[in-house]
Amino acid sequence: MNSEGPLADVKMLDFAWVMAGPAGTRMLADYGARIVRVESPTRIDTARTLQPHQNDRFGADSSGLFGNCNAGKLGIAIDIGNPRAREVILDLVRWADVVTESFSPKAMRKWALDYASLRNIRPDIIMLSTCLFGQTGPLRQIAGFGNMAAAIAGFSNLAGWPDRTATGVFGAYTDYIAPRYTAIAILAALEHRRRTGEGQYIDQAQAESAIHFLAPAILEYSANRRDPQRAGNTDRDVAPHGVYPAAGVDRWVAIVCRTDSEWRALCDAMAAPALGDDSRFITMRARIDNHTTLDAIIGAWTASRSAVEIEQLLQACGVPAYQVQNSAEAWRDTQLKHRGHFVEIEHPTIGRTTIEGPRSHLSRTPGRVRQAAPSLGRDNQYVLEKILGYDQDRISDLVVAGVFG
Amino acid sequence: MPILQSRRVLDLTNERGLLCGQILADLGADVIAVEPPGGSSARRIGPFAADVHDPERSLLWWSYSRNKRSITLDPTRTEGRDLLLRLAATSDFLIESFEPGFMAARGLAYHDLASINPSLVYVSITGFGQTGPKAHYADADLILLAAGGPLILGGDDDRPPVRLSVPQAYLHAGADAAVAAMVAHHERVRSGRGQHADIAAIQSVAIATQSGILSAPMNATEIRRLAGGLKLGPLDLPVIWPAKDGFISMTFLFGSALGVFTRKLMRYVCARGFCDEPTRDKDWIGYAEMLLSGREPLSEFERVKEIVRSFTRSHTKAELLDLALEHGFLMTPVYTISEVLSSEQLGSREYWRTIEDPELGTSYTVPGPFVKFSATPIEYRRRPPKIGEHNREVYIGDLKLSNEEFLKLERAGVI
Repeated sequence: MNSEGPLADVKMLDFAWVMAGPAGTRMLADYGARIVRVESPTRIDTARTLQPHQNDRFGADSSGLFGNCNAGKLGIAIDIGNPRAREVILDLVRWADVVTESFSPKAMRKWALDYASLRNIRPDIIMLSTCLFGQTGPLRQIAGFGNMAAAIAGFSNLAGWPDRTATGVFGAYTDYIAPRYTAIAILAALEHRRRTGEGQYIDQAQAESAIHFLAPAILEYSANRRDPQRAGNTDRDVAPHGVYPAAGVDRWVAIVCRTDSEWRALCDAMAAPALGDDSRFITMRARIDNHTTLDAIIGAWTASRSAVEIEQLLQACGVPAYQVQNSAEAWRDTQLKHRGHFVEIEHPTIGRTTIEGPRSHLSRTPGRVRQAAPSLGRDNQYVLEKILGYDQDRISDLVVAGVFG
Repeated sequence: MPILQSRRVLDLTNERGLLCGQILADLGADVIAVEPPGGSSARRIGPFAADVHDPERSLLWWSYSRNKRSITLDPTRTEGRDLLLRLAATSDFLIESFEPGFMAARGLAYHDLASINPSLVYVSITGFGQTGPKAHYADADLILLAAGGPLILGGDDDRPPVRLSVPQAYLHAGADAAVAAMVAHHERVRSGRGQHADIAAIQSVAIATQSGILSAPMNATEIRRLAGGLKLGPLDLPVIWPAKDGFISMTFLFGSALGVFTRKLMRYVCARGFCDEPTRDKDWIGYAEMLLSGREPLSEFERVKEIVRSFTRSHTKAELLDLALEHGFLMTPVYTISEVLSSEQLGSREYWRTIEDPELGTSYTVPGPFVKFSATPIEYRRRPPKIGEHNREVYIGDLKLSNEEFLKLERAGVI
């Protein structure tokens, strides 16, 4: 793999698996970081089993989630428990600037791959451990998924309708937030090392990173002693602010009027200018107080129209509106297309497939997808030969010893 | 020594981008919030401390302005623009979240500033990006969640899709912006050159589909929303389960990686007398395939879920958390915000920080460092700034304006 891109000088050894850790290092791979990702030959990465699967056909390489989180990385399959594996791993530690892992806290100690051990081999190593609740505390050994951290961090209870029990936020929510902080922490630690020569250890609790996305709710309690409640799609300061039915099955459009003038523009678009003078809706406060009636009026107008037509009609007069897009619609969306959000790549075992491209656009050193995510052990030979400089006899010896499963 | 010490950031963002600057400030950068005279529009967003509508009491501002200084400056006035150019000449980063074209119309586009400071990293945060057919679309949190894919996946299947009740879209964008800023900075250290980072919330929120946004291009079944979980084809897969005193979040899934956890749970549930042995001994690894192929009727899965529910419902949240710890079950309690604040786990890690505001005579708890660095721990050095609190410090101290010049700009309403 050629080295170019703004992070071409960064070398990483990545033991992280499932979503949160790999999604963070994927961002760095887009910008040229060279990442050797270690997988177990026997214990499958859970992400490989999760949907969506190419053509709905389940296989070891079919998962879009896995493809998304690991594109641009090199993959080796190595049995960490094998006594001969250690020499390979330690050589990779000597090669790497950064080691990342996302096991529960005692695993790396068990393999003598914890920070204290790695620092003996490579004194300026940067190591980042990421897990749900961090390396210390009574819940440190809780293994699991981001939905579990989202529950304890307060997200799950704040999604849903006030008249019902919580619907919970979709999926492993803290896995969507933590990766950014993983990437930031790694880049920050590299900067510190550049300036001082000093490596360090980073303990990331995904719940703790994610709570930053709930800071206003935390402050509502700590400053005002009010426990925030879920509020459907309403907003404390804005109405209309909702998701309204559109023509078709399970079709919806989101509409928000941030100002009086946007509200009047919506009334005009609905061909109901008199509503703009209706005293029940004349001020923002009045619209908030009467939002149930308001939502019913808007919903009656939207229900027979197509979501995308409503979006175009309202946006043309400056009213925030968007069809509530499923995957098929997002895939066709002209703005996402313009941004290069969907990237088609060739995959050696599943053929042509699609992953998400880099989200941020850098003008001079743009990110790009360099390679499909590795099949299990795809890059064993490359890593041993080209990165570690092992000769073929040594490689064969390791194969015979069962290092690669 | 803080990581970004001596790096200066001009933070022109409003409610669309505050988080990015705060992350850089937490890393030690000198982040100067550049507010319009009268204060940032973010300060007018509630809730407010003690419910007093006052720009110095916005909890949104408090949430994302720690460790920053504040100056006021009107970039739409010539004198204001000149001041901004002088500040930008010696800054390392500039972050802005105006409508695309706003900065360019005032001669403050990236290329304008790069001509006076080629090493500047200039970060733009918008809903839809700087260019493209919908770049000028009107936005809001709900709109961006609808556009980028996560909204349709959340909520009860008999009601409209529903968002999280705390706005998220611009936090996803702000965090992506901080990553982009750090990548550009890393490269600048070698090349000496800055660049423009263009962040669009419509893309940033897509990560919250957990790759579900790829279903259509991958020719795979669309994931659909279900109260407290998700639907995949004919399968209703709950995530939120009842406890005696509330709810838990539990991963109850199948397949080679997750089925082993379900098998372990079902053994325990059975040992506690909640189900019979044939139910316990189902093939939990291959269970999804059995259901999808029809070898196992969906009604049987409904019965299994009812058994599990009767088990979870007979325990408190705390008891279930203890079981998770003891047996490795994939379950945790659903906490309210007050419960989050009193969590033993977060307390034992000394996560929370207190911000003192002596002028208001108040103090409040905020989320602690986003990670624990061993060598360079994140410090909360400054409470969120008052409007223009550092005008004198920056304009007279750093820019070396005379007192007369400063007062003149103040009188003219430029600062």
